[in-house]
Amino acid sequence: MSDSLIHADDLRTALLQAQTRRHFLRTLGGGLGTLFLGTSMTKYASAANGAGHSESSNLDFTRDASSPLAELPPQFAAKVRRVIYLHMAGAPSQLELFEYKPDLKRLDGQDCPASFLAGKRFAFISGVPKLLGSQYPFHQVGQSGQWISDRLPHLEEHMDEICFIKSMHTDQFNHAPAQLLVHTGNARLGYPSLGSWVLYGLGTENQNLPGFIVLLSGGKSPDGGKQLWSSGFLPSVYQGVQCRSHGEPVLYLDNPPGVSRPLRRSMLDAIDDIDQQNYAAFGNPETVTRIAQYEMAFRMQMDATDAMDINKEPESVRVRYGSKPGESSFANNCLVARRLAERGVRFIQLYHWGWDSHGAEAKEALNLGFMDRCREVDQPTAALLADLKERGMLEDTLIVWGGEFGRTPMRENRNGQVMKYVGRDHNPGAFTIWMAGGGVRPGIAHGQTDEMGYEIVKDPVEIRDLHATMLYLLGFDHRKLNYSFQGLEQKLTTVRPARVVAEILA
Amino acid sequence: MTEWGQRISGQLRFVLFTLPFVLLVLVLVAFFPPDGNERAEWAQFIGRFHPLAVHFPIALILLVPILELAGLNRNFSYLRLSARFILGLATLSATLAAMLGWCLARSGGYSGPIVVQHMWGGISVAAACWLCWLLRTRASEAELGMGYRVAIVASVALVAWTGYRGGQLSLGEDHLTEHMPVGLRHVLRLPESASPTVDANTFYGARVQPIFAARCITCHGPNKHKADLRLDSYRAVMLGGKDGPVVRAGNVQASDLFRRITLPPGHDDFMPKEAARPLSVDQAKLIELWIGSGASDTLPVDAIKGAPGASPSTAPAEVTFEEIDPATVAKLRAAAAPMVAQLQKRFPNILDYESRSSANLSLNASILGAKFGDSDLAAFVPLAGNITVADFSRTAITDRSAGAIAAMKRVRVLRLMGTGISDATVEALDTMDQLESLNVFGTRVTAAALPAVVKLPRLAHFYAGQTAIPNSVAIPQALAGKVVF
Repeated sequence: MSDSLIHADDLRTALLQAQTRRHFLRTLGGGLGTLFLGTSMTKYASAANGAGHSESSNLDFTRDASSPLAELPPQFAAKVRRVIYLHMAGAPSQLELFEYKPDLKRLDGQDCPASFLAGKRFAFISGVPKLLGSQYPFHQVGQSGQWISDRLPHLEEHMDEICFIKSMHTDQFNHAPAQLLVHTGNARLGYPSLGSWVLYGLGTENQNLPGFIVLLSGGKSPDGGKQLWSSGFLPSVYQGVQCRSHGEPVLYLDNPPGVSRPLRRSMLDAIDDIDQQNYAAFGNPETVTRIAQYEMAFRMQMDATDAMDINKEPESVRVRYGSKPGESSFANNCLVARRLAERGVRFIQLYHWGWDSHGAEAKEALNLGFMDRCREVDQPTAALLADLKERGMLEDTLIVWGGEFGRTPMRENRNGQVMKYVGRDHNPGAFTIWMAGGGVRPGIAHGQTDEMGYEIVKDPVEIRDLHATMLYLLGFDHRKLNYSFQGLEQKLTTVRPARVVAEILA
Repeated sequence: MTEWGQRISGQLRFVLFTLPFVLLVLVLVAFFPPDGNERAEWAQFIGRFHPLAVHFPIALILLVPILELAGLNRNFSYLRLSARFILGLATLSATLAAMLGWCLARSGGYSGPIVVQHMWGGISVAAACWLCWLLRTRASEAELGMGYRVAIVASVALVAWTGYRGGQLSLGEDHLTEHMPVGLRHVLRLPESASPTVDANTFYGARVQPIFAARCITCHGPNKHKADLRLDSYRAVMLGGKDGPVVRAGNVQASDLFRRITLPPGHDDFMPKEAARPLSVDQAKLIELWIGSGASDTLPVDAIKGAPGASPSTAPAEVTFEEIDPATVAKLRAAAAPMVAQLQKRFPNILDYESRSSANLSLNASILGAKFGDSDLAAFVPLAGNITVADFSRTAITDRSAGAIAAMKRVRVLRLMGTGISDATVEALDTMDQLESLNVFGTRVTAAALPAVVKLPRLAHFYAGQTAIPNSVAIPQALAGKVVF
C-alpha cells in the first residue's frame, strides 16, 4: 500500500520535472524565436505597408500601468480636443434633407433608367423601380446659401457653421457592416472603434469619467451593436462605456445599502493588490484594464452621476434642447453630451435609431416616421451647436453628423410591388454627412453627386478619408496612430491609402 | 612530363585563355569609350546584366583571403588548396563582368567622372585577380610570397572602391550616407543635407526646376549625363548638351528641349525616354512659358500670369506631415522641463505639452473645478511664458489671479468661464498681444471691460454670454462680428 503511494509520488515528481523542463525549453527556444519573428516581421510588414512613406519613427503610446488612460499630447498641434459624433442609425435620406435635386423632382414617378440598375445590388428594390423626387421643398439659407429642406427649421439657422461632405462613399449596403465601417474602419467584427483609437492616442483629461462615452436613443440599439464602440484588439480599457441618460448612468454604480464608501475603498484595495500581483506575474494588459475599471467606477460614483444629471441645468437650457428629464431621448443625450464635453470627456458618441426609411410601415415612411425623426433631432442638434458656440467650446470640439450610407433616388418597390408608404432603399454609392467645429471650414459643401443624387461625380470621400481627416483635426497623422497586432501596425484607416480632405479644413 | 612541367603548362593554358579577354576589354575601353549616347539593343540588353554579374567576382575575391587565413589553422589547411581555383574563377568572372559593364556603359548612354572611375576600377580588379592568380600559382604551398599578400589586399581594396562607385551610379552619389542619422552625420562632419538649393521665390526655382528634378535628372543629372546634358541646375540647363544649347531664351520653337518633350511619344527624339510617360500638359506649358519669357532664373514666381496650377494658394493643398525630431523637441523643452515635470506631479492631468513636436504648454484647470484656486494658479507663474492655451473654466480663481494670468503673454486661448473674475482681470490682460480667443461666459464682467478688450490686437472671438454685458450693448467697431453672446 505504502509502496504504491510512494510510487505515485515519484510519478508526480517526474511528471512535474518533465513539464518544467519542457516548459523551460519551449519558452527558451520557441519563445526567443517567436520574439525575434514578432519584432522583425512586424518591421517588414510595416515597411511593406508603408511603402512610399517614411516610417522611421513610431509614436510611443506606452503609459504607466497604473494609469492607462493618462493624457498624451497629440503628434501635432491639434485643432480639436474632443469629438461629439451624432450617428443617425439606419441612414437618413440625404434627398429629403440636404441634397437639392430639382431634376429628380421633375422626373418623379418615371421608370428608373436601366443604367441605374445594371450591375447594382439592392437590399430590397427589384425589377424596374420609379424615380422618386424629394418629399419636401428645399430652400437656400444663410450667407453661404446652402440648400436645406423644410424638415430641419432649427438646424438651418446654423448652416453657415456647417461643412457638408456630399460625396461620402461606402462599399457596404447593409446596416451592421456599414456602421462597423463608419465606426471601426472595417466592415468586419473585431476592430477598434474611432473613439477607442482616439482614447488610445490621446488618453482623457478627466480621470473620474470614462474617456469614451456612448449614449443611445430612438428606442433601439444600432444594428452594429456594441461592436461599434468596442476596443477590438486594443486593450479593453479603451472601449466605449455605454451610459444611460437617466437614473444611475451605469447600473449598479452606487454602493449597495449597508456598504459605505470607506468599506468599498478597502475592498477595492484588496482586489487591486491581488490584481497587481497577477499583473506582475503574467503582464496581461487586461489585468490593467480590470484595475483601471474598478478605480474608474469608484471615482465615477462621485462624478458620473453629477455629469449625467440634466436636472442640474437651468430650465431655460432644457427648454432650448427640448429635453425632458427621465426620458431616453436624443434631446437629453445632446444635453448630456455638452455636460460631458465640458468635463473633459474625449469622445462622446450618440446613436439615434430609426432612420431606415424603406416605407414598409408607417414609422419608417419618408412621409410619416421620417418627419418624427427629423423633429427628434432638429432642435437638440441646433441647441448643441448654439450652446457649444456660446461657451466657446465649438472652437476645440468636432461635431460629426451622419448615417452609414445614403438612400436611392428610386422609390423602394419591395417584391416589385407599389408599397403603401413612400420609402427609399439603401445607396452606398453616395451619402451626405456634415461636420462643424474647430479646424473645419464652415459654410461649404464638398463633393457633388449627379443630377439624381445617385452617384458621386466630384471629389469622392471614402470612410477612411473621413477618419484620416478627423484624426488630423485631433493632431495625428493617421499612419502614425497605430498598434502592432498580428504582425501588422494596425491603423484605423487600414492598409489602404487614405487622404486627409484638405479642402474642408479651415 | 614532370610535375613542374605540368604546372607550367596548366599555368600557360590559363594565361593564354584569359589574356585575350583582358586585352579585349582594354581595347574596347580605349577605342570605344562610353560617350553618353545610346546604341544597339543587343549591347544594351546584355549590358543590363552587369549589375547582376558583378556580385559573382566580388564574392569570389573576398573569399580568397578568408580561405587563406582560415587555412593557417591546421584543422582547415585543406581550404588553402581551393584558393587558386577560386582566384582563377574570380579572374574569369571579373573579366566577364567588365565586358558586360562596357556593354552597358557604351550602349546605355553613360558618361561622367564616376562612370570612368568605375570602369577603370573594374578593369583593374580583373587585372589584379589575374596577377594574384599568377603569384599564387608560383608560391609554394608552405610559404605565400609577400607579393601575393600585397596583391590580395590591394585587390580587396580595389573591389570595395569600385563597388562603391558602382553603387553611386545606380543608387545615387550619397547612397551610403543619405539616411545617416543626424548625430552621426555631425560626428563625421558631413553636411546636413546634400541636395542643392534653388531659390523657391523664382519662377524657375519654384515651377520649372521641380519638373526637371522629377522627370529628367535620372538620366540628365549628376550621375548620368546622357548626351552630355545635365538638367540639375540652371547653369547646366543653359549650357546644353553635345548638340549645343537645348534652351534658347525667348524662342520656344528653336529650343530643342521643348521640341523633344512635345513630340508624339514614340518618336525617336521624344523625351523622356525609356517608356516614361510624357510630361503633363501643365508641365509642358510651364516650360513653354518659362522659355518664352526669357528663360530667366531671377524672374519672380508670380511674374507669369496664367501659368497653369498657379500659386499654391489656389491649388488644393494636400496636408503634409513633418517628421518629429526628438532631439530638437528635447532641446526646445530643456529649459522648462524640470518645472513642467514638477507641476505635472503636483497637479496631475491638467498640464501637458501642446503636441509631441512642441514646447508650448496647454493648461486645463477646468478639470479640477472649484478645487483649483488663486494660490494654485500662482504656482504656474514660472511657466507663464510657455503656456499657449489656458482653461480656468469653473475654477475658484478670482481677480487676485489677474497678474498671474496677464503674465502668460503667449496665450492664444484663455477661458475664464464661470469663474469669480470681473472687469479688473479683463482690464489687466492688455499685455496679452497673442490672445485670439477670450471666454468670460457666465462671469460678472460688464460692458465697462469692452474698451480693454478692444485693445487686444489679435482677438477673434470674445465669448460674453450670461455676463453683465447685455445682448443689446453697443459693440465697438473693432469688435464687430467677434463678440459671441
